[in-house]
Amino acid sequence: MIVGKQKPFEEIWDMIKNFKKVLVFGCNTCVAICHAGGGKEAEILASMLRMKAYQEGVEMEVKHAAIERHCEPEFFDPVMEDVKTNDVVLSTACGVGVNFLAERIGDIPVFPGINTQFFGAVPKAGVFVELCAGCGNCVLHLTGGICPVARCAKSLMNGPCGGTNNGKCEISQDVDCAWYLILERMTKLGTLEKLSEIKPPRDWSTGIYGGPRRIVLEHIADVEAQEEKKES
Amino acid sequence: MYAAKRVTYAKKLLSTVGIDPARLEMYNLSAAMGPKWAEICTEFTERIRKLGHSPIWLAVCKQSGMKRSEEK
Amino acid sequence: MKSGSNLEKVLEGGYFTVTAEVGPPKGTSASVIQKKGELLKSCCDAMNVTDNQTAIVRMSSLSGCVILKQIGLDPVMQMVVRDRNRIAIQSDILGAIALGIRNVLCLSGDSQRFGNHPTAKGVYDIDSIQLVQTLKTMRDGKKFLCGEAISGEVPLFIGAVENPYADPFEYRVKRLAKKVKAGADFIQSQAVFDVVKFIKWMEMVRDQGLDKQVHILAGVIPIKSVGMARYMRDNVSGVSVPDEIVTRLEDAKNAKEEGVKITLEIIEQLKEIDGIHGIHIMAVAWEDIVPVIAERAGLLPRPIL
Repeated sequence: MIVGKQKPFEEIWDMIKNFKKVLVFGCNTCVAICHAGGGKEAEILASMLRMKAYQEGVEMEVKHAAIERHCEPEFFDPVMEDVKTNDVVLSTACGVGVNFLAERIGDIPVFPGINTQFFGAVPKAGVFVELCAGCGNCVLHLTGGICPVARCAKSLMNGPCGGTNNGKCEISQDVDCAWYLILERMTKLGTLEKLSEIKPPRDWSTGIYGGPRRIVLEHIADVEAQEEKKES
Repeated sequence: MYAAKRVTYAKKLLSTVGIDPARLEMYNLSAAMGPKWAEICTEFTERIRKLGHSPIWLAVCKQSGMKRSEEK
Repeated sequence: MKSGSNLEKVLEGGYFTVTAEVGPPKGTSASVIQKKGELLKSCCDAMNVTDNQTAIVRMSSLSGCVILKQIGLDPVMQMVVRDRNRIAIQSDILGAIALGIRNVLCLSGDSQRFGNHPTAKGVYDIDSIQLVQTLKTMRDGKKFLCGEAISGEVPLFIGAVENPYADPFEYRVKRLAKKVKAGADFIQSQAVFDVVKFIKWMEMVRDQGLDKQVHILAGVIPIKSVGMARYMRDNVSGVSVPDEIVTRLEDAKNAKEEGVKITLEIIEQLKEIDGIHGIHIMAVAWEDIVPVIAERAGLLPRPIL
């Protein structure tokens, strides 16, 4: 899931303080799971903005709403008319949601209430860890299922580096050395010898550094285009 | 106890918007502790009285133009 | 000869080699490097110029090496993969060779978080082992990574580093083997303080026959104060300082003299280890002690080949 954290309150206030009608718009999927921007969090944030507005003597109407997801048009359609009655939308969905809403909302600004951070999992309640970097060129079958791109601070392909410290990464005692974990796991799996092969320089162009990515599934996309043609 | 953690969190949220976190409190007691309940109510009411009007109430009054003497 | 550099000649000639290290200035003065170069000229066979060490911006290693070359030294250009992608790296190598640099040391580089620009993007397009491989491809295959031909010769003496103290200990020799397989000609190890553990590591190295395939120089850092010892023990990733050394410095009347004594003792022990072909002296902020150490360790004069 996508994991993010709500922006500091002062930063959010700064963004919307000059608007009269604010909608705090939550998403009930990923950001709800990480308690950053679900319907509940949107409601709390709206309430805090109201309290701040009163104290600053600013006239502001703050509403809150939430839909299932901000990444597919079908969830926006039923509420779009209401959404457009506001001066600004403070989206507490992930960055995807902010982008997607901004594309279809016309000339009302959409601001991010969240700093979207990573793809992660929840090892225990309240703890979220980054496990995937979306590099587009997955080598997890060669590293025992532990991602060197996302979890090694230097994204080494032939790690570990000389900075590993008691199984922890040199950048922090809170961060496990990914290569230490890979070595452990591959030893357990009996595949350690595979690591003596030198992995050649990676193709990074499949990742974010190669430019924004797009996938088109011909067998689905074409069908939709055909149906749209039939209807018109 | 999760409730206690949430109250601590809520207090933090209150102070972020400039409201004294002392205005929110959690007390643990059972239905049988009548006298204790009365004591807590009195204590807390006194605490709030000392803290005065909440900044929100003051701001709302200001906005709606109510005079201070009319405040309850 | 792969490169014809002085370092290569001394190592291939079977001499106990000495290399030293120079940190470039956080500024534009060439004379800083010239002075350090002159100071260390007669007590080492080659001199490393560090590359934005600990991610702190300094004059580039390539330019530092050119300055040293101009005063008749054999420089070792250190190259980290943190700050440059494969395009810039291969480009810098072509330039370095054109300017007479022959020795290149390949490193990962400390995380940018440690430096004075922690918000910078870390590049890590290729890792240090892939860098060794790249240099070998350029030198022996006369090709860029993409397969296109390089015009002209690419004389290079390729170095890598290894840290015998990082964990897991057992894997460190496998990692060294990988670097040798990738094409490393020489290795400079991280600083040795715990000689017992280092001897154990070298046993494993010899078991794998690696000492016959690559020249290994043991790193040595002279410590000038208790504060420095403690700092390295607690804060510098990859350096392992045993408590006995900290205690010796604490109890010593003259910490500097004790520090020199400790370094000399370590060097004597390193000389005895089969498979160690020399030492790499990293005199952090104490360059003027290097000639003293070289003399007292009986390493002078250096061979002139």
